[in-house]
Amino acid sequence: MLAFLVGEALRDLRRAGRVAASAILLITLALGALGGFWLLSTNLGRAVGEWRERVKLVVYLRREPSSADAAALVERVRGLPGVASVRFVGKAEALGTLREVLGKDAAVADQLLQNPLPASLEVVPTAGGATPAGAQALIAGLAAMPETEEVGGGVEWIERFARGQRLVTLFGLGLGGVLGVAAILTVTTATTLVLHARRDEMEIMRLVGAPEHIVRLPLLLQGMTQGLLGALLAVWILFSVHLLLAPRLEPLVAESLGLARLTFLTPLNLATLVVIGTLLGGLGGLLARGRATP
Amino acid sequence: MTPAAIIEPPAMMELHRVWKVYSVGPVKVPALSDVSFQVTKGEFVTLHGPSGAGKTTLLRLLYREEIPSEGEIQVLGLDLARARRGEVAALRRSIGVVFQDARLLPGRTVYENVAFVLRVLGTPRREITARVFEALRAVGLSARAQAYPAQLSQGEAQRAALARAIARKPLLLIADEPTGNLDEGMAAEVLDVIRDVWAGGTTVLVATHQKALARTLRRRTLTLQNGRLLKDEG
Ligand SMILES: Nc1ncnc2c1ncn2[C@@H]1O[C@H](COP(=O)(O)OP(=O)(O)O)[C@@H](O)[C@H]1O
Ligand SMILES: [Mg+2]
Repeated sequence: MLAFLVGEALRDLRRAGRVAASAILLITLALGALGGFWLLSTNLGRAVGEWRERVKLVVYLRREPSSADAAALVERVRGLPGVASVRFVGKAEALGTLREVLGKDAAVADQLLQNPLPASLEVVPTAGGATPAGAQALIAGLAAMPETEEVGGGVEWIERFARGQRLVTLFGLGLGGVLGVAAILTVTTATTLVLHARRDEMEIMRLVGAPEHIVRLPLLLQGMTQGLLGALLAVWILFSVHLLLAPRLEPLVAESLGLARLTFLTPLNLATLVVIGTLLGGLGGLLARGRATP
Repeated sequence: MTPAAIIEPPAMMELHRVWKVYSVGPVKVPALSDVSFQVTKGEFVTLHGPSGAGKTTLLRLLYREEIPSEGEIQVLGLDLARARRGEVAALRRSIGVVFQDARLLPGRTVYENVAFVLRVLGTPRREITARVFEALRAVGLSARAQAYPAQLSQGEAQRAALARAIARKPLLLIADEPTGNLDEGMAAEVLDVIRDVWAGGTTVLVATHQKALARTLRRRTLTLQNGRLLKDEG
């Protein structure tokens, strides 16, 4: 019976001809846009996640504390909410780092009469401490300590980036949505064509006692087939484009975003796209049904 | 329950004071006026009357392509006024109808047209081919199995419709002018097929405007004129 219904659906698909083909193409476009932005957003999200992990706040101290005071200070800061770890950096260590950074120009540092670099604490926030609100509270807490001269670093720039990422996601969803609606309407048109071509036939089927699902299911199935074909096409295109572009983009991305690899959508993501496509197609088929039934 | 009800054979169809009035714009056309009769299981009934008498209208009421303007109809125990869509479909699967205009599925071959109703009945795939050809052979159409309806003569289309109606071995066979487009020899063959089906236990209702045909059948004949049931004899 299933083979029979699928056969009917394919027959209908052929009947809708060019309109069905454009419906499939529109679904491909909709899902391609959705998938493309999803891909972009996923990778940006990964970058944001990695930066969040690497976020550091630097608390510059007024005076270099004694090692006992330094240990006590570290303990105290570690006790603040939102702090994952704390490391004390003395003036000497700071200068050493500066020398390393300067490399062969380190001689410049040697000409200094005294070490101008302040002692500092490197504070790594927890995930909670790296959120905008958490970071704000943490920075306020650190700034309020009597030993603090200034708190450097922050998370605003990451947040700006994260907002950008959300914008990309929204844009993708919006574009995908608009194209999706267009796709549904086209499937509906294709199905309506099939319906008109089949009106007499459906009437005869009913007269010989065909149950309603046999009369109508092929319509739903041909819509779903359009959706499925469009979705598979979109997945294939996304995969090919990723395969082609990812190796070329990765050096660039490694430099700018700090991402070593551009990942592809997960199998679950892909399955979701295929399901969305099939549902879009089915919905188009259903709408035509509704229109045709008085 | 009265004793009469116990000995009464089960009714195949029962019409009680049935009216059918078509509205053509503001004009009301009474196609059937106050028609009542019963057909019991196993009967062979001829519905006779001139063209325009209301025969087709009456038959269409029986498988609920039309609903009566007034009156009650029961077919195979189903009250058509109260029947749900699924019940109507099930009823239609128990009835074989030879439509006056054949009504074959246009995009399918003769073979597929007959096979379709068997598929709808859930007939196992292996049985379908044999039963389709059995039915086509009965109506003398085996050679045209792969032809499309548009390639058939009217007589062939009607025989294909008959094959479709009998392939499912219906409880009730309704035929609307089944010999209308056939020459005498072919008409006789078709009547033989219908008689065979009847002999197999199917109740038969044949509508015809041909007086000669009604006479040769020599069965119970309902005579319809201007939408009224004039005679019920035989
Ligand atoms: N769908 C319809 N709309 C309006 N009038 C109809 C319709 N069908 C049949 N009629 C009228 O009902 C009468 C009976 O028609 P019909 O049942 O086809 O007669 P028969 O089959 O005996 O020739 C005719 O006058 C016909 O014009
Ligand atoms: Mg007629």
